[in-house]
Amino acid sequence: MKRIVEPKVPARILLETGAMDVRLRAKTWRRALSLARPYLYLLPTFFFLFIFTHYPILKTFYMALFKWNLATPKKQFVGLNNYIQAYSTPLFWEVLGNNVLFAVGTVPITLALALALALLINQKIRGLAIYRALLFYPTMVPMAAAAMIWLWILTPNYGLLNYYGRWVGLPDIHWLGHNRLAIWALVLVGVWKRVGYYMVIYLAGLQVIPEHLYEAAIIEGAGPWHRFWRVTFPLISPTTFFVATMAVIDSFQAIDQVYLMTGGGPGNATNLFIFYIYQNAFRFFDFGYASAVSAVLFLILLALTVLAFRTLHRRVHYA
Amino acid sequence: MRSRPLWRLAVHAILVLAALIMVVPLLWIVLTAFKERNEVFALVPQWLPAHPTFINFIGVLDAMPFWRYYWNTIVVAFGLLAIQLVTITLAAYAFARMEFWGRDVLFILLLVQLMIAPQSTVIQNYITLTGLGLLDTRLGIMAPYLASAFGTFLLRQTFKTIPKELEEAASLDGCGGLRFLAHVAIPLALPGYLAFALVSLTYHWNEFFWPLVITETNKARTLTLGLGIFAQTAEGTADWTMLMAATLMVIAVPLMFFLVFQRRFINSFMQSGLGG
Repeated sequence: MKRIVEPKVPARILLETGAMDVRLRAKTWRRALSLARPYLYLLPTFFFLFIFTHYPILKTFYMALFKWNLATPKKQFVGLNNYIQAYSTPLFWEVLGNNVLFAVGTVPITLALALALALLINQKIRGLAIYRALLFYPTMVPMAAAAMIWLWILTPNYGLLNYYGRWVGLPDIHWLGHNRLAIWALVLVGVWKRVGYYMVIYLAGLQVIPEHLYEAAIIEGAGPWHRFWRVTFPLISPTTFFVATMAVIDSFQAIDQVYLMTGGGPGNATNLFIFYIYQNAFRFFDFGYASAVSAVLFLILLALTVLAFRTLHRRVHYA
Repeated sequence: MRSRPLWRLAVHAILVLAALIMVVPLLWIVLTAFKERNEVFALVPQWLPAHPTFINFIGVLDAMPFWRYYWNTIVVAFGLLAIQLVTITLAAYAFARMEFWGRDVLFILLLVQLMIAPQSTVIQNYITLTGLGLLDTRLGIMAPYLASAFGTFLLRQTFKTIPKELEEAASLDGCGGLRFLAHVAIPLALPGYLAFALVSLTYHWNEFFWPLVITETNKARTLTLGLGIFAQTAEGTADWTMLMAATLMVIAVPLMFFLVFQRRFINSFMQSGLGG
Protein backbone atom coordinates (compact mmCIF):
# COMPACT_ATOMS: atom_id res chain seq x y z
CA MET A 1 0.00 0.00 0.00
CA LYS A 2 1.28 3.39 -0.94
CA ARG A 3 0.95 6.00 1.79
CA ILE A 4 -0.84 9.10 0.73
CA VAL A 5 1.31 12.10 1.56
CA GLU A 6 -0.80 14.78 3.19
CA PRO A 7 -0.15 18.25 1.80
CA LYS A 8 0.33 20.96 4.38
CA VAL A 9 -2.87 22.85 3.79
CA PRO A 10 -5.15 23.72 6.73
CA ALA A 11 -8.20 21.54 6.85
CA ARG A 12 -10.46 24.58 6.92
CA ILE A 13 -9.34 25.69 3.47
CA LEU A 14 -9.77 22.17 2.11
CA LEU A 15 -13.26 22.00 3.49
CA GLU A 16 -14.19 25.35 2.07
CA THR A 17 -12.91 24.50 -1.39
CA GLY A 18 -14.46 21.07 -1.33
CA ALA A 19 -11.07 19.41 -2.02
CA MET A 20 -11.31 17.40 1.19
CA ASP A 21 -14.56 16.04 -0.02
CA VAL A 22 -13.07 14.89 -3.30
CA ARG A 23 -10.12 13.25 -1.61
CA LEU A 24 -12.36 11.49 0.86
CA ARG A 25 -14.55 10.26 -1.92
CA ALA A 26 -11.54 8.98 -3.86
CA LYS A 27 -10.40 7.12 -0.76
CA THR A 28 -13.80 5.51 -0.24
CA TRP A 29 -13.85 4.58 -3.89
CA ARG A 30 -10.48 2.92 -3.68
CA ARG A 31 -11.53 0.99 -0.60
CA ALA A 32 -14.72 -0.15 -2.26
CA LEU A 33 -12.81 -1.18 -5.35
CA SER A 34 -10.31 -3.23 -3.40
CA LEU A 35 -13.16 -4.96 -1.62
CA ALA A 36 -14.94 -5.63 -4.89
CA ARG A 37 -11.83 -6.63 -6.82
CA PRO A 38 -11.94 -10.39 -6.15
CA TYR A 39 -15.58 -10.50 -7.13
CA LEU A 40 -14.87 -8.57 -10.30
CA TYR A 41 -12.17 -11.09 -11.17
CA LEU A 42 -14.58 -13.95 -10.58
CA LEU A 43 -17.44 -12.34 -12.47
CA PRO A 44 -16.74 -13.69 -15.99
CA THR A 45 -16.20 -17.24 -14.78
CA PHE A 46 -19.25 -17.31 -12.57
CA PHE A 47 -21.42 -15.59 -15.15
CA PHE A 48 -20.81 -18.46 -17.61
CA LEU A 49 -20.71 -21.08 -14.90
CA PHE A 50 -24.12 -20.09 -13.67
CA ILE A 51 -25.78 -20.01 -17.10
CA PHE A 52 -24.24 -23.18 -18.48
CA THR A 53 -23.59 -25.35 -15.42
CA HIS A 54 -25.56 -24.44 -12.30
CA TYR A 55 -28.77 -23.33 -13.93
CA PRO A 56 -29.05 -26.35 -16.27
CA ILE A 57 -28.51 -28.76 -13.36
CA LEU A 58 -31.31 -27.21 -11.34
CA LYS A 59 -33.52 -26.84 -14.40
CA THR A 60 -33.06 -30.52 -15.32
CA PHE A 61 -34.49 -31.60 -11.99
CA TYR A 62 -37.30 -29.08 -12.38
CA MET A 63 -38.16 -30.12 -15.93
CA ALA A 64 -38.19 -33.76 -14.93
CA LEU A 65 -41.43 -32.95 -13.09
CA PHE A 66 -43.24 -31.97 -16.27
CA LYS A 67 -44.78 -33.73 -19.18
CA TRP A 68 -43.41 -31.99 -22.25
CA ASN A 69 -43.36 -33.82 -25.56
CA LEU A 70 -44.82 -33.74 -29.04
CA ALA A 71 -48.22 -34.85 -27.78
CA THR A 72 -48.14 -32.28 -24.97
CA PRO A 73 -46.40 -29.21 -26.37
CA LYS A 74 -47.56 -27.16 -23.40
CA LYS A 75 -45.71 -28.18 -20.24
CA GLN A 76 -47.91 -30.00 -17.79
CA PHE A 77 -46.93 -30.73 -14.19
CA VAL A 78 -46.93 -34.46 -13.51
CA GLY A 79 -44.89 -34.77 -10.31
CA LEU A 80 -42.70 -37.85 -10.24
CA ASN A 81 -44.48 -39.48 -13.15
CA ASN A 82 -41.46 -39.35 -15.46
CA TYR A 83 -39.37 -41.22 -12.90
CA ILE A 84 -42.12 -43.78 -12.47
CA GLN A 85 -42.28 -44.13 -16.23
CA ALA A 86 -38.53 -44.83 -16.34
CA TYR A 87 -38.87 -47.32 -13.51
CA SER A 88 -41.59 -49.23 -15.33
CA THR A 89 -39.96 -49.10 -18.78
CA PRO A 90 -38.03 -52.30 -19.52
CA LEU A 91 -35.83 -50.42 -21.99
CA PHE A 92 -34.60 -48.10 -19.24
CA TRP A 93 -33.38 -51.11 -17.28
CA GLU A 94 -31.91 -52.66 -20.39
CA VAL A 95 -29.95 -49.46 -21.05
CA LEU A 96 -28.76 -49.37 -17.46
CA GLY A 97 -27.75 -53.03 -17.72
CA ASN A 98 -25.93 -52.41 -20.99
CA ASN A 99 -24.04 -49.54 -19.45
CA VAL A 100 -23.06 -51.55 -16.38
CA LEU A 101 -21.91 -54.38 -18.65
CA PHE A 102 -19.96 -51.89 -20.76
CA ALA A 103 -18.28 -50.50 -17.62
CA VAL A 104 -17.56 -53.95 -16.18
CA GLY A 105 -16.13 -55.01 -19.53
CA THR A 106 -14.02 -51.93 -20.16
CA VAL A 107 -12.69 -50.80 -16.80
CA PRO A 108 -10.88 -53.86 -15.38
CA ILE A 109 -9.27 -54.77 -18.71
CA THR A 110 -8.18 -51.20 -19.38
CA LEU A 111 -6.79 -50.75 -15.89
CA ALA A 112 -4.96 -54.07 -15.78
CA LEU A 113 -3.36 -53.43 -19.16
CA ALA A 114 -2.58 -49.82 -18.27
CA LEU A 115 -0.85 -50.88 -15.04
CA ALA A 116 1.07 -53.68 -16.73
CA LEU A 117 2.29 -51.33 -19.46
CA ALA A 118 3.17 -48.63 -16.94
CA LEU A 119 5.24 -51.12 -14.95
CA LEU A 120 7.09 -52.22 -18.07
CA ILE A 121 7.72 -48.66 -19.21
CA ASN A 122 8.74 -47.46 -15.75
CA GLN A 123 12.11 -49.15 -16.10
CA LYS A 124 15.17 -47.54 -17.51
CA ILE A 125 14.87 -49.01 -20.96
CA ARG A 126 15.87 -47.73 -24.33
CA GLY A 127 13.20 -46.30 -26.62
CA LEU A 128 10.95 -45.41 -23.71
CA ALA A 129 9.67 -42.20 -25.33
CA ILE A 130 8.76 -44.05 -28.51
CA TYR A 131 6.85 -46.80 -26.70
CA ARG A 132 5.04 -44.26 -24.59
CA ALA A 133 4.04 -42.18 -27.61
CA LEU A 134 2.81 -45.20 -29.56
CA LEU A 135 0.75 -46.44 -26.63
CA PHE A 136 -0.62 -43.00 -25.82
CA TYR A 137 -1.54 -41.65 -29.25
CA PRO A 138 -5.13 -43.04 -29.35
CA THR A 139 -5.92 -40.53 -26.60
CA MET A 140 -5.29 -37.83 -29.18
CA VAL A 141 -7.52 -39.41 -31.82
CA PRO A 142 -11.12 -38.18 -31.76
CA MET A 143 -13.58 -40.90 -30.75
CA ALA A 144 -15.42 -40.18 -34.00
CA ALA A 145 -12.29 -41.06 -35.97
CA ALA A 146 -11.61 -44.09 -33.79
CA ALA A 147 -15.15 -45.24 -34.51
CA MET A 148 -14.48 -45.01 -38.26
CA ILE A 149 -11.25 -46.98 -37.97
CA TRP A 150 -12.87 -49.75 -35.99
CA LEU A 151 -15.97 -49.86 -38.18
CA TRP A 152 -13.63 -50.67 -41.00
CA ILE A 153 -11.59 -53.22 -39.03
CA LEU A 154 -14.73 -54.93 -37.71
CA THR A 155 -16.48 -55.11 -41.08
CA PRO A 156 -17.79 -58.60 -41.88
CA ASN A 157 -16.18 -60.67 -44.63
CA TYR A 158 -13.27 -58.49 -45.65
CA GLY A 159 -12.58 -56.75 -42.33
CA LEU A 160 -9.13 -57.06 -40.80
CA LEU A 161 -10.28 -58.62 -37.54
CA ASN A 162 -12.24 -61.38 -39.22
CA TYR A 163 -9.30 -62.23 -41.43
CA TYR A 164 -6.76 -62.54 -38.64
CA GLY A 165 -9.42 -63.94 -36.33
CA ARG A 166 -9.62 -66.92 -38.66
CA TRP A 167 -5.97 -67.65 -37.83
CA VAL A 168 -6.85 -68.21 -34.20
CA GLY A 169 -10.02 -70.06 -35.05
CA LEU A 170 -12.61 -67.32 -34.62
CA PRO A 171 -15.65 -67.71 -36.86
CA ASP A 172 -16.52 -65.06 -39.42
CA ILE A 173 -18.65 -62.72 -37.37
CA HIS A 174 -20.56 -59.55 -38.08
CA TRP A 175 -19.39 -58.15 -34.74
CA LEU A 176 -21.49 -55.03 -34.69
CA GLY A 177 -24.60 -56.82 -35.89
CA HIS A 178 -24.44 -59.50 -33.23
CA ASN A 179 -26.85 -59.26 -30.32
CA ARG A 180 -24.39 -60.23 -27.61
CA LEU A 181 -21.03 -59.40 -29.19
CA ALA A 182 -21.75 -55.86 -30.39
CA ILE A 183 -21.20 -54.39 -26.96
CA TRP A 184 -17.86 -56.19 -26.72
CA ALA A 185 -16.82 -54.56 -29.96
CA LEU A 186 -17.50 -51.23 -28.26
CA VAL A 187 -15.49 -52.42 -25.26
CA LEU A 188 -12.59 -53.21 -27.58
CA VAL A 189 -12.66 -49.68 -29.00
CA GLY A 190 -12.93 -48.22 -25.51
CA VAL A 191 -9.90 -50.16 -24.27
CA TRP A 192 -7.84 -49.23 -27.30
CA LYS A 193 -8.72 -45.56 -26.92
CA ARG A 194 -8.15 -45.22 -23.17
CA VAL A 195 -5.42 -47.63 -22.13
CA GLY A 196 -2.58 -45.24 -22.99
CA TYR A 197 -4.13 -42.43 -21.00
CA TYR A 198 -4.54 -44.50 -17.87
CA MET A 199 -1.05 -45.89 -18.36
CA VAL A 200 0.28 -42.35 -18.15
CA ILE A 201 -1.70 -41.65 -14.97
CA TYR A 202 -0.27 -44.86 -13.50
CA LEU A 203 3.22 -43.77 -14.50
CA ALA A 204 2.74 -40.58 -12.51
CA GLY A 205 1.65 -42.71 -9.54
CA LEU A 206 4.60 -45.11 -9.87
CA GLN A 207 7.14 -42.33 -10.04
CA VAL A 208 6.32 -41.03 -6.57
CA ILE A 209 6.97 -44.38 -4.87
CA PRO A 210 10.25 -43.86 -2.99
CA GLU A 211 13.14 -45.86 -4.40
CA HIS A 212 14.40 -46.87 -0.92
CA LEU A 213 11.34 -49.04 -0.35
CA TYR A 214 12.41 -51.23 -3.26
CA GLU A 215 16.00 -51.28 -2.05
CA ALA A 216 14.82 -52.40 1.37
CA ALA A 217 12.66 -55.10 -0.21
CA ILE A 218 15.60 -56.37 -2.23
CA ILE A 219 17.75 -56.54 0.90
CA GLU A 220 14.99 -58.56 2.54
CA GLY A 221 15.30 -60.91 -0.42
CA ALA A 222 11.98 -60.14 -2.07
CA GLY A 223 11.74 -61.15 -5.73
CA PRO A 224 9.99 -59.10 -8.40
CA TRP A 225 6.66 -60.83 -7.73
CA HIS A 226 6.78 -60.02 -4.04
CA ARG A 227 8.01 -56.53 -4.64
CA PHE A 228 4.99 -55.87 -6.85
CA TRP A 229 2.39 -57.25 -4.44
CA ARG A 230 3.98 -55.96 -1.24
CA VAL A 231 5.31 -52.56 -2.31
CA THR A 232 3.99 -51.35 -5.64
CA PHE A 233 0.43 -52.58 -5.49
CA PRO A 234 -0.47 -51.21 -2.04
CA LEU A 235 1.17 -47.90 -2.75
CA ILE A 236 -0.62 -47.34 -6.03
CA SER A 237 -3.96 -48.65 -4.83
CA PRO A 238 -5.25 -45.11 -4.21
CA THR A 239 -4.33 -44.32 -7.84
CA THR A 240 -6.12 -47.47 -8.92
CA PHE A 241 -9.24 -46.58 -7.03
CA PHE A 242 -9.23 -43.05 -8.37
CA VAL A 243 -8.56 -44.14 -11.94
CA ALA A 244 -11.19 -46.87 -11.70
CA THR A 245 -13.81 -44.36 -10.63
CA MET A 246 -12.85 -41.99 -13.42
CA ALA A 247 -13.02 -44.86 -15.89
CA VAL A 248 -16.47 -45.92 -14.72
CA ILE A 249 -17.68 -42.33 -15.06
CA ASP A 250 -16.13 -42.30 -18.51
CA SER A 251 -18.03 -45.38 -19.54
CA PHE A 252 -21.29 -43.78 -18.44
CA GLN A 253 -20.50 -40.88 -20.76
CA ALA A 254 -19.83 -42.99 -23.83
CA ILE A 255 -21.92 -41.82 -26.77
CA ASP A 256 -19.83 -41.06 -29.87
CA GLN A 257 -18.97 -44.67 -30.62
CA VAL A 258 -22.56 -45.78 -29.99
CA TYR A 259 -23.94 -43.09 -32.27
CA LEU A 260 -21.46 -43.78 -35.06
CA MET A 261 -20.87 -47.53 -34.86
CA THR A 262 -24.11 -49.20 -33.84
CA GLY A 263 -26.83 -46.59 -33.43
CA GLY A 264 -27.67 -48.42 -30.22
CA GLY A 265 -28.39 -51.66 -32.10
CA PRO A 266 -28.87 -54.39 -32.96
CA GLY A 267 -32.21 -53.92 -31.26
CA ASN A 268 -31.13 -51.99 -28.21
CA ALA A 269 -28.15 -54.20 -27.39
CA THR A 270 -25.68 -51.31 -27.36
CA ASN A 271 -28.01 -48.54 -26.26
CA LEU A 272 -26.12 -46.72 -23.50
CA PHE A 273 -27.31 -44.02 -21.12
CA ILE A 274 -26.38 -40.85 -23.01
CA PHE A 275 -27.59 -42.29 -26.27
CA TYR A 276 -30.91 -43.14 -24.64
CA ILE A 277 -31.21 -39.56 -23.38
CA TYR A 278 -30.29 -38.25 -26.81
CA GLN A 279 -32.92 -40.43 -28.48
CA ASN A 280 -35.67 -39.36 -26.12
CA ALA A 281 -34.80 -35.66 -26.29
CA PHE A 282 -33.82 -35.10 -29.89
CA ARG A 283 -35.50 -37.90 -31.81
CA PHE A 284 -38.75 -38.42 -29.87
CA PHE A 285 -38.78 -34.85 -28.49
CA ASP A 286 -39.84 -36.05 -25.07
CA PHE A 287 -37.96 -33.43 -23.07
CA GLY A 288 -39.67 -34.17 -19.77
CA TYR A 289 -38.81 -37.85 -19.77
CA ALA A 290 -35.30 -37.22 -21.11
CA SER A 291 -34.75 -34.76 -18.26
CA ALA A 292 -35.78 -37.35 -15.69
CA VAL A 293 -33.32 -39.86 -17.16
CA SER A 294 -30.64 -37.12 -17.17
CA ALA A 295 -31.37 -36.46 -13.52
CA VAL A 296 -30.90 -40.15 -12.70
CA LEU A 297 -27.62 -40.22 -14.61
CA PHE A 298 -26.55 -37.03 -12.88
CA LEU A 299 -27.08 -38.60 -9.47
CA ILE A 300 -25.22 -41.79 -10.42
CA LEU A 301 -22.25 -39.82 -11.71
CA LEU A 302 -22.28 -37.42 -8.79
CA ALA A 303 -22.06 -40.33 -6.35
CA LEU A 304 -19.14 -41.79 -8.30
CA THR A 305 -17.35 -38.46 -8.55
CA VAL A 306 -17.66 -37.69 -4.86
CA LEU A 307 -16.09 -41.09 -4.31
CA ALA A 308 -13.25 -40.25 -6.68
CA PHE A 309 -12.59 -36.87 -5.10
CA ARG A 310 -12.42 -38.38 -1.66
CA THR A 311 -9.91 -40.92 -2.90
CA LEU A 312 -7.87 -38.18 -4.50
CA HIS A 313 -7.84 -36.49 -1.14
CA ARG A 314 -6.56 -39.60 0.53
CA ARG A 315 -3.92 -39.96 -2.11
CA VAL A 316 -2.62 -36.49 -1.33
CA HIS A 317 -2.17 -37.57 2.28
CA TYR A 318 -0.22 -40.61 1.16
CA ALA A 319 2.33 -38.75 -0.87
CA MET B 1 18.53 -60.53 -10.08
CA ARG B 2 18.40 -63.24 -12.67
CA SER B 3 19.72 -62.92 -16.20
CA ARG B 4 19.23 -59.23 -16.85
CA PRO B 5 19.70 -59.17 -20.64
CA LEU B 6 17.05 -61.85 -21.05
CA TRP B 7 14.60 -59.92 -18.88
CA ARG B 8 15.29 -56.77 -20.89
CA LEU B 9 14.65 -58.62 -24.12
CA ALA B 10 11.34 -59.91 -22.78
CA VAL B 11 10.29 -56.42 -21.75
CA HIS B 12 11.09 -55.08 -25.20
CA ALA B 13 9.29 -57.96 -26.87
CA ILE B 14 6.11 -57.32 -24.90
CA LEU B 15 6.26 -53.58 -25.46
CA VAL B 16 6.87 -53.97 -29.18
CA LEU B 17 3.89 -56.30 -29.41
CA ALA B 18 1.68 -53.90 -27.44
CA ALA B 19 2.80 -50.91 -29.48
CA LEU B 20 2.19 -52.87 -32.67
CA ILE B 21 -1.37 -53.70 -31.64
CA MET B 22 -2.01 -50.06 -30.86
CA VAL B 23 -0.50 -48.82 -34.09
CA VAL B 24 -1.99 -51.32 -36.52
CA PRO B 25 -5.36 -49.52 -36.75
CA LEU B 26 -3.61 -46.26 -37.62
CA LEU B 27 -1.38 -47.96 -40.14
CA TRP B 28 -4.36 -49.70 -41.66
CA ILE B 29 -6.30 -46.49 -42.31
CA VAL B 30 -3.26 -44.76 -43.77
CA LEU B 31 -2.71 -47.62 -46.18
CA THR B 32 -6.40 -47.95 -47.01
CA ALA B 33 -6.66 -44.24 -47.76
CA PHE B 34 -4.18 -44.62 -50.62
CA LYS B 35 -5.85 -47.65 -52.19
CA GLU B 36 -8.22 -47.83 -55.09
CA ARG B 37 -11.79 -48.43 -54.14
CA ASN B 38 -12.14 -52.05 -55.22
CA GLU B 39 -8.91 -53.21 -53.65
CA VAL B 40 -10.42 -53.30 -50.18
CA PHE B 41 -12.93 -56.02 -50.97
CA ALA B 42 -10.23 -58.66 -51.33
CA LEU B 43 -10.87 -61.60 -49.01
CA VAL B 44 -7.19 -61.73 -48.15
CA PRO B 45 -6.28 -58.23 -46.95
CA GLN B 46 -3.52 -56.62 -48.97
CA TRP B 47 -1.45 -54.34 -46.76
CA LEU B 48 0.21 -52.21 -49.38
CA PRO B 49 -1.84 -50.38 -51.98
CA ALA B 50 -1.27 -51.91 -55.41
CA HIS B 51 -1.55 -48.56 -57.17
CA PRO B 52 -1.12 -45.77 -54.58
CA THR B 53 -3.50 -42.96 -55.42
CA PHE B 54 -4.65 -39.60 -54.09
CA ILE B 55 -8.06 -39.97 -55.65
CA ASN B 56 -9.76 -40.60 -52.32
CA PHE B 57 -8.53 -37.35 -50.83
CA ILE B 58 -9.73 -35.41 -53.86
CA GLY B 59 -13.02 -37.27 -53.62
CA VAL B 60 -13.43 -36.23 -49.99
CA LEU B 61 -12.88 -32.58 -50.85
CA ASP B 62 -15.62 -32.88 -53.48
CA ALA B 63 -18.02 -34.82 -51.29
CA MET B 64 -18.01 -32.61 -48.21
CA PRO B 65 -17.24 -29.00 -47.29
CA PHE B 66 -13.99 -30.09 -45.70
CA TRP B 67 -12.32 -26.68 -45.47
CA ARG B 68 -15.41 -25.11 -43.94
CA TYR B 69 -15.39 -27.82 -41.27
CA TYR B 70 -11.70 -27.20 -40.75
CA TRP B 71 -12.14 -23.47 -40.38
CA ASN B 72 -15.05 -23.96 -37.97
CA THR B 73 -12.95 -26.31 -35.87
CA ILE B 74 -10.06 -23.86 -35.73
CA VAL B 75 -12.36 -20.99 -34.77
CA VAL B 76 -14.10 -23.04 -32.09
CA ALA B 77 -10.97 -24.56 -30.55
CA PHE B 78 -8.75 -21.47 -30.60
CA GLY B 79 -11.48 -18.91 -30.03
CA LEU B 80 -12.67 -20.84 -27.04
CA LEU B 81 -9.13 -21.14 -25.73
CA ALA B 82 -8.63 -17.37 -26.03
CA ILE B 83 -11.74 -16.63 -23.97
CA GLN B 84 -10.95 -19.39 -21.48
CA LEU B 85 -7.48 -17.95 -20.89
CA VAL B 86 -9.05 -14.67 -19.77
CA THR B 87 -11.73 -16.22 -17.55
CA ILE B 88 -9.43 -18.76 -15.89
CA THR B 89 -6.61 -16.27 -15.30
CA LEU B 90 -8.81 -13.80 -13.47
CA ALA B 91 -10.64 -16.44 -11.46
CA ALA B 92 -7.50 -18.41 -10.59
CA TYR B 93 -5.75 -15.26 -9.47
CA ALA B 94 -8.63 -14.30 -7.19
CA PHE B 95 -8.84 -17.80 -5.69
CA ALA B 96 -5.09 -18.14 -5.26
CA ARG B 97 -4.06 -14.78 -3.89
CA MET B 98 -7.00 -12.89 -2.45
CA GLU B 99 -8.91 -13.07 0.78
CA PHE B 100 -12.60 -12.44 0.47
CA TRP B 101 -15.90 -13.37 1.95
CA GLY B 102 -17.43 -16.58 0.52
CA ARG B 103 -14.26 -17.80 -1.13
CA ASP B 104 -14.58 -21.44 -0.11
CA VAL B 105 -18.23 -21.68 -1.07
CA LEU B 106 -17.53 -20.13 -4.46
CA PHE B 107 -14.65 -22.53 -4.98
CA ILE B 108 -16.91 -25.51 -4.38
CA LEU B 109 -19.46 -24.01 -6.77
CA LEU B 110 -16.67 -23.87 -9.32
CA LEU B 111 -15.65 -27.48 -8.74
CA VAL B 112 -19.23 -28.56 -9.48
CA GLN B 113 -18.30 -28.20 -13.13
CA LEU B 114 -15.57 -30.81 -12.70
CA MET B 115 -17.89 -33.13 -10.85
CA ILE B 116 -20.69 -33.33 -13.36
CA ALA B 117 -20.76 -34.91 -16.77
CA PRO B 118 -21.24 -32.20 -19.41
CA GLN B 119 -23.54 -34.64 -21.20
CA SER B 120 -26.11 -34.51 -18.41
CA THR B 121 -26.74 -30.79 -19.02
CA VAL B 122 -26.99 -31.06 -22.79
CA ILE B 123 -30.78 -30.79 -23.00
CA GLN B 124 -30.98 -27.65 -20.89
CA ASN B 125 -28.06 -25.98 -22.62
CA TYR B 126 -29.69 -26.76 -25.94
CA ILE B 127 -32.87 -25.01 -24.80
CA THR B 128 -30.97 -22.04 -23.33
CA LEU B 129 -28.85 -21.51 -26.42
CA THR B 130 -31.83 -21.85 -28.73
CA GLY B 131 -33.49 -19.13 -26.66
CA LEU B 132 -30.40 -16.93 -27.08
CA GLY B 133 -30.48 -17.45 -30.85
CA LEU B 134 -27.18 -19.34 -30.77
CA LEU B 135 -28.45 -22.60 -32.23
CA ASP B 136 -26.31 -23.63 -35.18
CA THR B 137 -23.52 -21.16 -34.45
CA ARG B 138 -19.88 -21.59 -33.50
CA LEU B 139 -20.44 -19.48 -30.42
CA GLY B 140 -23.14 -21.96 -29.40
CA ILE B 141 -20.61 -24.79 -29.61
CA MET B 142 -18.21 -22.84 -27.40
CA ALA B 143 -20.72 -21.49 -24.90
CA PRO B 144 -20.88 -24.26 -22.26
CA TYR B 145 -17.09 -24.26 -21.94
CA LEU B 146 -16.35 -20.54 -21.63
CA ALA B 147 -15.65 -20.99 -17.93
CA SER B 148 -13.29 -23.82 -17.08
CA ALA B 149 -13.05 -25.29 -13.61
CA PHE B 150 -10.14 -27.47 -14.69
CA GLY B 151 -8.17 -24.52 -16.03
CA THR B 152 -8.93 -22.37 -12.99
CA PHE B 153 -7.92 -25.19 -10.68
CA LEU B 154 -4.67 -25.83 -12.54
CA LEU B 155 -3.65 -22.16 -12.63
CA ARG B 156 -4.64 -21.58 -9.03
CA GLN B 157 -2.12 -24.22 -7.99
CA THR B 158 0.59 -22.41 -9.94
CA PHE B 159 -0.32 -18.92 -8.73
CA LYS B 160 -0.27 -20.14 -5.15
CA THR B 161 3.41 -21.01 -5.41
CA ILE B 162 4.43 -17.40 -6.13
CA PRO B 163 5.94 -16.08 -2.88
CA LYS B 164 3.99 -13.36 -1.09
CA GLU B 165 7.16 -11.27 -0.70
CA LEU B 166 7.49 -11.03 -4.46
CA GLU B 167 4.02 -9.56 -4.70
CA GLU B 168 4.72 -7.11 -1.88
CA ALA B 169 7.97 -5.99 -3.44
CA ALA B 170 6.31 -5.54 -6.81
CA SER B 171 3.49 -3.63 -5.19
CA LEU B 172 5.96 -1.20 -3.57
CA ASP B 173 7.44 -0.59 -6.98
CA GLY B 174 4.01 0.38 -8.22
CA CYS B 175 3.41 -2.94 -9.93
CA GLY B 176 0.31 -4.14 -8.14
CA GLY B 177 -2.98 -5.71 -9.13
CA LEU B 178 -3.44 -6.37 -12.83
CA ARG B 179 0.08 -5.21 -13.64
CA PHE B 180 1.55 -7.75 -11.25
CA LEU B 181 -0.62 -10.36 -12.89
CA ALA B 182 0.53 -9.39 -16.37
CA HIS B 183 4.23 -8.90 -15.66
CA VAL B 184 4.99 -11.43 -12.93
CA ALA B 185 2.28 -14.02 -12.30
CA ILE B 186 1.40 -14.95 -15.89
CA PRO B 187 5.01 -15.34 -17.08
CA LEU B 188 5.74 -17.54 -14.06
CA ALA B 189 2.72 -19.72 -14.82
CA LEU B 190 3.48 -20.35 -18.49
CA PRO B 191 3.93 -24.14 -18.10
CA GLY B 192 0.50 -24.33 -16.51
CA TYR B 193 -0.98 -22.33 -19.38
CA LEU B 194 0.64 -24.61 -21.91
CA ALA B 195 -0.73 -27.72 -20.21
CA PHE B 196 -4.20 -26.27 -20.13
CA ALA B 197 -4.00 -25.10 -23.75
CA LEU B 198 -3.00 -28.53 -25.05
CA VAL B 199 -5.74 -30.34 -23.15
CA SER B 200 -8.40 -27.80 -24.10
CA LEU B 201 -7.45 -27.72 -27.79
CA THR B 202 -7.39 -31.51 -28.02
CA TYR B 203 -10.71 -31.89 -26.24
CA HIS B 204 -12.54 -29.40 -28.40
CA TRP B 205 -10.88 -30.44 -31.63
CA ASN B 206 -12.14 -33.95 -30.94
CA GLU B 207 -15.51 -33.26 -29.44
CA PHE B 208 -18.46 -34.83 -31.22
CA PHE B 209 -21.62 -35.04 -29.17
CA TRP B 210 -22.25 -31.44 -28.15
CA PRO B 211 -21.60 -30.01 -31.65
CA LEU B 212 -23.94 -32.71 -32.95
CA VAL B 213 -26.73 -31.49 -30.70
CA ILE B 214 -26.26 -27.76 -31.18
CA THR B 215 -25.77 -27.62 -34.96
CA GLU B 216 -28.30 -28.18 -37.71
CA THR B 217 -26.48 -27.26 -40.90
CA ASN B 218 -22.92 -27.23 -42.21
CA LYS B 219 -22.67 -23.55 -41.27
CA ALA B 220 -21.07 -24.21 -37.88
CA ARG B 221 -20.25 -27.93 -37.97
CA THR B 222 -16.79 -29.06 -36.96
CA LEU B 223 -14.50 -31.73 -38.42
CA THR B 224 -15.45 -34.71 -36.31
CA LEU B 225 -19.10 -34.00 -36.91
CA GLY B 226 -18.54 -33.63 -40.64
CA LEU B 227 -16.72 -36.96 -40.58
CA GLY B 228 -19.65 -38.61 -38.81
CA ILE B 229 -22.17 -37.26 -41.32
CA PHE B 230 -19.97 -38.27 -44.21
CA ALA B 231 -19.66 -41.74 -42.72
CA GLN B 232 -23.37 -42.25 -42.62
CA THR B 233 -23.56 -41.75 -46.35
CA ALA B 234 -20.29 -43.55 -47.14
CA GLU B 235 -20.89 -46.58 -44.94
CA GLY B 236 -24.03 -47.50 -46.84
CA THR B 237 -22.08 -47.60 -50.05
CA ALA B 238 -19.08 -49.33 -48.44
CA ASP B 239 -16.83 -46.56 -49.66
CA TRP B 240 -14.07 -47.47 -47.26
CA THR B 241 -11.16 -45.88 -49.07
CA MET B 242 -12.87 -42.48 -49.10
CA LEU B 243 -13.95 -42.83 -45.50
CA MET B 244 -10.41 -43.68 -44.38
CA ALA B 245 -9.03 -40.78 -46.41
CA ALA B 246 -11.49 -38.45 -44.66
CA THR B 247 -10.56 -39.89 -41.26
CA LEU B 248 -6.89 -39.43 -42.00
CA MET B 249 -7.48 -35.82 -43.06
CA VAL B 250 -9.26 -35.13 -39.78
CA ILE B 251 -6.58 -36.58 -37.50
CA ALA B 252 -3.38 -35.85 -39.45
CA VAL B 253 -2.45 -32.39 -38.18
CA PRO B 254 -3.16 -32.96 -34.45
CA LEU B 255 -1.34 -36.30 -34.59
CA MET B 256 1.67 -34.70 -36.20
CA PHE B 257 1.78 -32.07 -33.48
CA PHE B 258 1.54 -34.85 -30.93
CA LEU B 259 4.43 -36.79 -32.42
CA VAL B 260 6.65 -33.71 -32.41
CA PHE B 261 5.72 -32.46 -28.95
CA GLN B 262 4.74 -35.79 -27.42
CA ARG B 263 6.45 -35.21 -24.08
CA ARG B 264 4.59 -31.93 -23.54
CA PHE B 265 1.28 -33.44 -24.57
CA ILE B 266 1.67 -36.45 -22.29
CA ASN B 267 2.70 -34.31 -19.32
CA SER B 268 -0.28 -32.05 -19.88
CA PHE B 269 -2.69 -34.96 -19.95
CA MET B 270 -1.08 -36.36 -16.82
CA GLN B 271 -2.03 -33.13 -15.06
CA SER B 272 -5.53 -33.29 -16.46
CA GLY B 273 -5.95 -36.65 -14.77
CA LEU B 274 -4.80 -35.27 -11.46
CA GLY B 275 -6.96 -32.19 -11.80
CA GLY B 276 -10.09 -34.19 -12.45
